[in-house]
Amino acid sequence: MRRVAITGMGAICALGHDAPATWAAMREGRSAIGPIRNIPTDLLNIKIAAEVHGYDPLAHFNPKRLLLLDRVSQFALIAAREAVVQSGLDFRDDARGDRSACIIGTGIGGENTHDEQSRRFYEERNPRVHPLTIVRLMANAPACQISMEYALTGPTFAVVSACASANHAMAQAFDMVRSGKVDFAVTGGSEACITVPTVKAWEAVRVTADDTCRPFCRQRRGMVLGEGSGVFVLEEFEHARARGATILAEFAGAGMSADAGDIVLPSETGAARALAGALADARLEAGDVGYINAHGTGTPANDPTESRAIRRVFGAHADILCVSSTKSMHGHALGAAGAIELVAAIGALREGVIPPTANFIDADPQCDLDCVPNVAREKSVRAVLSNSFAFGGLNAVLALKRA
Amino acid sequence: MSSVQETIFAIISKEAGIDPAKISLDSTLKDLEIQSLDAVQIIFEIEDHYRVTLPDRDPNFDTESVSGLIVAVERLVAEKQNAAAAPTVQA
Repeated sequence: MRRVAITGMGAICALGHDAPATWAAMREGRSAIGPIRNIPTDLLNIKIAAEVHGYDPLAHFNPKRLLLLDRVSQFALIAAREAVVQSGLDFRDDARGDRSACIIGTGIGGENTHDEQSRRFYEERNPRVHPLTIVRLMANAPACQISMEYALTGPTFAVVSACASANHAMAQAFDMVRSGKVDFAVTGGSEACITVPTVKAWEAVRVTADDTCRPFCRQRRGMVLGEGSGVFVLEEFEHARARGATILAEFAGAGMSADAGDIVLPSETGAARALAGALADARLEAGDVGYINAHGTGTPANDPTESRAIRRVFGAHADILCVSSTKSMHGHALGAAGAIELVAAIGALREGVIPPTANFIDADPQCDLDCVPNVAREKSVRAVLSNSFAFGGLNAVLALKRA
Repeated sequence: MSSVQETIFAIISKEAGIDPAKISLDSTLKDLEIQSLDAVQIIFEIEDHYRVTLPDRDPNFDTESVSGLIVAVERLVAEKQNAAAAPTVQA
């Protein structure tokens, strides 16, 4: 059976504007959660987030191109560029584009564009809507823009499943490469939806923390919003090896399930099925896995449920597992979360360093796993899992193996 | 050059990235090689600037040529001014 290699990685998030900066911050246990600066906070009760700062769009795009790009597409392109450069692939060569998928997850698409045009319409009562509104805000815009930039002419579309969008998107791309439907894929997720009404909407769900994000810890008060993008190049394994590409990791499997339960509360059994499904799909035993990058939002509901789901699947081995949540550092980037978190998974495999769960104070007996509090841990691992458990009970777990 | 003409030349130049010296009253948007998405943005900027709505596919309005756009805008602005100046009828 065909295997799938990851030969390119790109990211932009609160921790940094590229994958190395992001991983370096993760290793250091440095949290980028802080006071909101990109939008006015006078109406907000929650005044913290993990925003991308120091970002100048004109440093990456010319003004005419920028007219077509909502912030979510900008982030996706920046991450895609980094990944494609690292892969060393020219998709225009050898009709590779035809044999490439481009599948990019996002929770909500061009929310900044939607917000600004709505504001103009309702607040200024200006009946003229900018003609580029639709092509900017549509959820497939990030996928389209990447496809256009690299002439990726195979299966191209967006995947939407709230906080699991990126993992679901990458699982689709992985399946296509593994099955031979395509030979390459550019895949990941992007999200940029920190607007005033969006923050208010999240406040209203009463799951956001007002101090910081402390997953698995007794003092946790909820999640903190993040933004950014992660994009990866997937390639058929033997092709990557034959051309001497640097293989960052092997994309080994994916498990997907739905809770069919509550629209917000997670289910232990639903999550467990996705975890077990990922192991089975990757032909891994529980004992092969050394690290799980948790969904770990820091909400009262997720963390104990996720801990129990992991125990259910891993049994006694759960006592040796490292399970950390990097959302403690880059926030919850929603549709981009799984992609930014794959940077952590790959870093752990390549460097034998487990990024910590930051902001940890006291252990919670209901979350009785080793969550690597505050300080990164050296541990050689051969296989890792990365979890995403979304609202509506949508679960996607990815399995990677050391290359 | 009338000010409507100046404004429209400036908008076309900016949105389509064309040297204003290349634009003439007789030019059509096709002549100027303006892409359809740029043309739509030009219409939008004109509408936004003058707070008028240029009709779509109306045979009485020629929005394909520069002179047609100028005539259309002048007409719509005049109609707006007349409507504003008209006395209200007390029932």
